[in-house]
Amino acid sequence: MRIVIAEDSAILREGLAQLLAVRGHDVLAAVVDAPALLAAVAEQQPDVAIVDIRLPPGHTDEGLRAAIQLRRQMPGVGVLIFSQYVETAFVAELLAGGSDGVGYLLKERVVQLDEFIDALHRVAAGGTALDPEVVTQLFGRSRHRDQLAELTARERTVLALMAQGRTNTAVAAALRVSERAVEKHVTNIFTKFDLVPSETDHRRVLAVLRYLQS
Amino acid sequence: MTVAARAVFARRTWAGLAYLLLVLPLDVVTALLLLVTGLLSTILMLTPLGAWLLALVLRAARGLGGLRRGLAARLLDERVPAPPPPAGGGALRWRRAMLTDPTGWRALAYALAKLPVSILSLVLGGACYVYGLAALVYLPFQDDRPDNWRAVLVSWLAGLFLLLLAPWMLRSILAVERMLIRGLLGPSQSAQRLSELRETRDRAVVDADATLRRIERDLHDGAQARLIGVGMQLTMVGELLAAGAPPERLRAAVDAARDALTDAVTELRDLVRGIHPPVLDRGLDAALATVAAGSALEVTVSAELPRRPPPAIESIVYFSACELLTNAGRHSGARSATVQVTVHDDVLRLRVRDDGRGGAHQRAGGGLAGLAERVRVVDGRLLIDSPPAGPTTVTVEIPSPRSS
Repeated sequence: MRIVIAEDSAILREGLAQLLAVRGHDVLAAVVDAPALLAAVAEQQPDVAIVDIRLPPGHTDEGLRAAIQLRRQMPGVGVLIFSQYVETAFVAELLAGGSDGVGYLLKERVVQLDEFIDALHRVAAGGTALDPEVVTQLFGRSRHRDQLAELTARERTVLALMAQGRTNTAVAAALRVSERAVEKHVTNIFTKFDLVPSETDHRRVLAVLRYLQS
Repeated sequence: MTVAARAVFARRTWAGLAYLLLVLPLDVVTALLLLVTGLLSTILMLTPLGAWLLALVLRAARGLGGLRRGLAARLLDERVPAPPPPAGGGALRWRRAMLTDPTGWRALAYALAKLPVSILSLVLGGACYVYGLAALVYLPFQDDRPDNWRAVLVSWLAGLFLLLLAPWMLRSILAVERMLIRGLLGPSQSAQRLSELRETRDRAVVDADATLRRIERDLHDGAQARLIGVGMQLTMVGELLAAGAPPERLRAAVDAARDALTDAVTELRDLVRGIHPPVLDRGLDAALATVAAGSALEVTVSAELPRRPPPAIESIVYFSACELLTNAGRHSGARSATVQVTVHDDVLRLRVRDDGRGGAHQRAGGGLAGLAERVRVVDGRLLIDSPPAGPTTVTVEIPSPRSS
């Protein structure tokens, strides 16, 4: 993958760049603030940009603003928000423009390098990657507790993985069950939520997230 | 004599006279109006109209009191802070606020008290000026006997005496007026205390919020980021192992992880010390000795504490001492300093003295101003004595009652 990184902490910026390089990915630019990110993405046209939420000068949500701008201006470039905390309001804002080609992961997920790079691939290919913590918070806050309670334990697990942006194949692999079985769970979930099943994976994620947030 | 003569023509005298002349007719009219409407509203209390009328009377008294404060500030240089504004809201709430707020009642008391006071001051002050002038230019020449020069002389002397007395009379009258304005038109003592408490409370809340934000920021950018960095380095070690990398590269990655971990632990320790230094648990003297040992200056500490102050006070004194020593080291070019803590008459005093170049003062938004604000939260105060050539002594006084 061709990657641009925007991260103001030197230790994390370099650590991340090294890890990606070791797996054979091209880190085209590693910058420290939002204007440099926008310039680097426009110049390099990467597959995906990894963006810290807090960037100078304000250290509030400059990264998120830049990410949203990137989604609008260069929809072909996947954007992965890379943060030290989960804020569902930020997730909602990020997903407001659609869930294709966006992700939101906690920084410590890098430690599971395989999964992290999987998520990057997904975002680069126009899919979605949400942190398990995002999904947990959405579940906890959802006003649809009654419907959530109707799900079986297995269905809840499938729902969580699906909300993270994983494909049926990936869910089946993670749970060590057949793809057929996953499809059945997904159909059950959509029926219990009164949602129309969608064919494509990322539309499905969006449907589930909208449902949880509404 | 010249002082007395000068007083007759002083600006202050004329301004005071102008004030009295402006105010006297106003006072009589408003007092009578308020008295009549006040009595009327008391009679009308039997009907709902009474309460409304009374509220209006109180509002009017309050407004007139405000005008009077402005006039006194301009002509008498008597600046009295405004009492707290009335509560807003609907009509019923307005009426309730008017009827229960002491400000309006005190303004009414002022207006009514002014009625006898005004008449008295008119008689006394007016007599001095009018009779004095008359004795000079009019009375002696009333008779058609210009040969009576002794009577003329006596009259002149009397007139002169009265005119010279007039400014002092005026001043006494105005002293009474100032007392009334201060006592009845300013904020009551409890209101003043309340507004002070409200201000320091707001300050404490803002301070606490800023501290939490700073801690969050420090943790987020410091220890938390470094620990994630350690995770990244360890992941790197795993990757290198899996790829069969040479031992030097492995070694470098492990070293980087260890360094990041050490940094994280150091940052956490500094942060903890900034929140509550563990040594403070062993008492203020021990904590101050530690600060002195770590200071760039040569610091002598003496702490005479017959009993341990409450922990919150200890903490404020400790951080004040830290900040004052840092200031001394950074801005004054001092080489040595003394830190002294004493308790007298239930007041704890921290005195930090340095041999630097002096000239320290409170600047808005500066460190000393911030310190003064923080000390005010516990009813304390900050005193700075810093002549241009030094030395500088900053004293923090905090009430520390025996039983609290």
